[in-house]
Amino acid sequence: MLHDLLNFTPSEISALFLSIKVALWSTLASCVPGIFVAWLLARKSFIGKSLLDSLVHLPLVLPPVVPGFLLLILLGNQGLIGKWLHESWGITLVFTWVGAAIASAVMAFPLMVRAARLAIRQVDTNLEAAAQSLGAHPFRVFFTVTLPLAMPGVLTGLILAFSRSLGEFGATITFVGNIEGETRTLPLAIFTYTQIPGGDTAAMRLVILSMLLAFCALLVSDLLERRANKRLGLNPHDD
Amino acid sequence: MIDLDIRLNRGSFVLDAKLFTNEPVIGLFGPSGSGKSTILAILAGLIKPDEGRFVIDGECLFDSEKKVDVAIHHRRIGLVFQDSRLFPHLSARNNLDYGLNLLAPRNQRFSFDQIVALLEIGHLLERRPHQLSGGGKQRVALGRALLASPRLLLLDEPLASLDSRLKNQILPFLRRIKEQLQIPMIYVSHSINEILHLTQTLAIIQAGSIIANGGFHEVIKDERVLSLAHSLGLDNVIHAEVLEHNQEFEYTLTGYGENKILLPLLNKPIGSFTAISIPASNIALSKLRLSALTIQNQLHGTVTAIRKIDHRVLVSVDIGCVLIAEVTAKAVHDLEIKCGDSVYCLVKAQAIRHLGDSAD
Repeated sequence: MLHDLLNFTPSEISALFLSIKVALWSTLASCVPGIFVAWLLARKSFIGKSLLDSLVHLPLVLPPVVPGFLLLILLGNQGLIGKWLHESWGITLVFTWVGAAIASAVMAFPLMVRAARLAIRQVDTNLEAAAQSLGAHPFRVFFTVTLPLAMPGVLTGLILAFSRSLGEFGATITFVGNIEGETRTLPLAIFTYTQIPGGDTAAMRLVILSMLLAFCALLVSDLLERRANKRLGLNPHDD
Repeated sequence: MIDLDIRLNRGSFVLDAKLFTNEPVIGLFGPSGSGKSTILAILAGLIKPDEGRFVIDGECLFDSEKKVDVAIHHRRIGLVFQDSRLFPHLSARNNLDYGLNLLAPRNQRFSFDQIVALLEIGHLLERRPHQLSGGGKQRVALGRALLASPRLLLLDEPLASLDSRLKNQILPFLRRIKEQLQIPMIYVSHSINEILHLTQTLAIIQAGSIIANGGFHEVIKDERVLSLAHSLGLDNVIHAEVLEHNQEFEYTLTGYGENKILLPLLNKPIGSFTAISIPASNIALSKLRLSALTIQNQLHGTVTAIRKIDHRVLVSVDIGCVLIAEVTAKAVHDLEIKCGDSVYCLVKAQAIRHLGDSAD
């Protein structure tokens, strides 16, 4: 039994690496816009702010199938943007791992924004003003003061987004389907095994793998946060 | 040069301040909530006034009519606050470098080494702000502001978070900055003694408007200033010349005009000037020169004003400068003290406090 649980097949290993690839790209893609939107929501007041806020958080409260379906309508080969991408540039997103990364990014975006916004809001605006009075352009202030000080929270957001992407299921299967080696990530592979008779052991193997992966991500997050806090001279969390 | 005329209305608080001065270092003095910090924030660009204008060193930084509003990072106005506001993620060295590195070399008025030596912070450079003491933080914050080569340095109660022992350690650094770097400064404090340690030029602010500005001995003649200063614990500050040390009886003789003031032994060279303060409540008045008395100082002068403020009577006596004596209404009545009378101010040597090197 134990032997069975460690005996991974090539298609399972490919699902693992595909999951990591999709999660990494989705995290990378949502990083810059996520921090930007977080900064907008934390520091600026503008018309439509609450609309943007709601829009960003929508994937968190909607059934994941809904964003998946909307992505299909927007980015499918016959979709509003997808058609143009397909016809002008020859880019197809449906049924590709890039599409899977986009679906994961959309679903993970609110987690990224929430963590980063909280972190940016906690940065003392007096320090930003001090940097400006020393001659730094607001742009430079953001990169030399705001972002470094918000880094622990931003990192937490990135890890959360990464973990969420690893686990993405509903939007992915709706938008890009379940194709082995292309879009079949760990959760989809688990789902597939549960659908075939005698697939339970294989499903269990992948469940253990998923748990290990998630656990590692959280450990790394904790480690990074401790290091960042130590650098800032903050006390480690008491929890 | 500072030429300022601004208005700001924040509901319960109205600021309507006018100030023109050519003095390089001025102390902005007033009670809490009078608008001192607001004026500094406006000068630095952190708060935008409703209307008005101000010019620093010939450059207009804000003018609501001409729609001039120079961006904070182009104003070159240094700020040092009560809380040092050092960047917690950077070492002291990198904090100091922050503004310096943003300047073209030709605009760098001071070198890193010069400022580090002046403020004696060489041994702190590799520490992070949370590893610095309160006094260390303030010195690094001063250095950081200076290295950005500001045309004007604003000090907003920079010593308020320090205990009195540390205050006395930092004050000499501020004096060094004033004397060696010749950088224009506005020093905000609610402690008039702290300001007088640094400068004799004051601007007095009350309820959002500047009610007087000029030399200490000039502005203190203004009744509103006097009342304000007194309610905030005014001490008479005299800049006296050290004349003689007596080791045997452990006293120092100082001179101010024709008056000699005797105080506990000081460690100051003869011929130097030193600031001493005499609390108004520690001055007694006599119409005659007394003998057979333990009180050593009998400063002769002329009564120039008698004012009743709250339940106190303040008598101004001109002894070359104006000394304020706080006495009871009954004493004034009994002795029939009136303006123009010749009186002696009696001050115990032990009641005189030494403030340090004289500002002027």
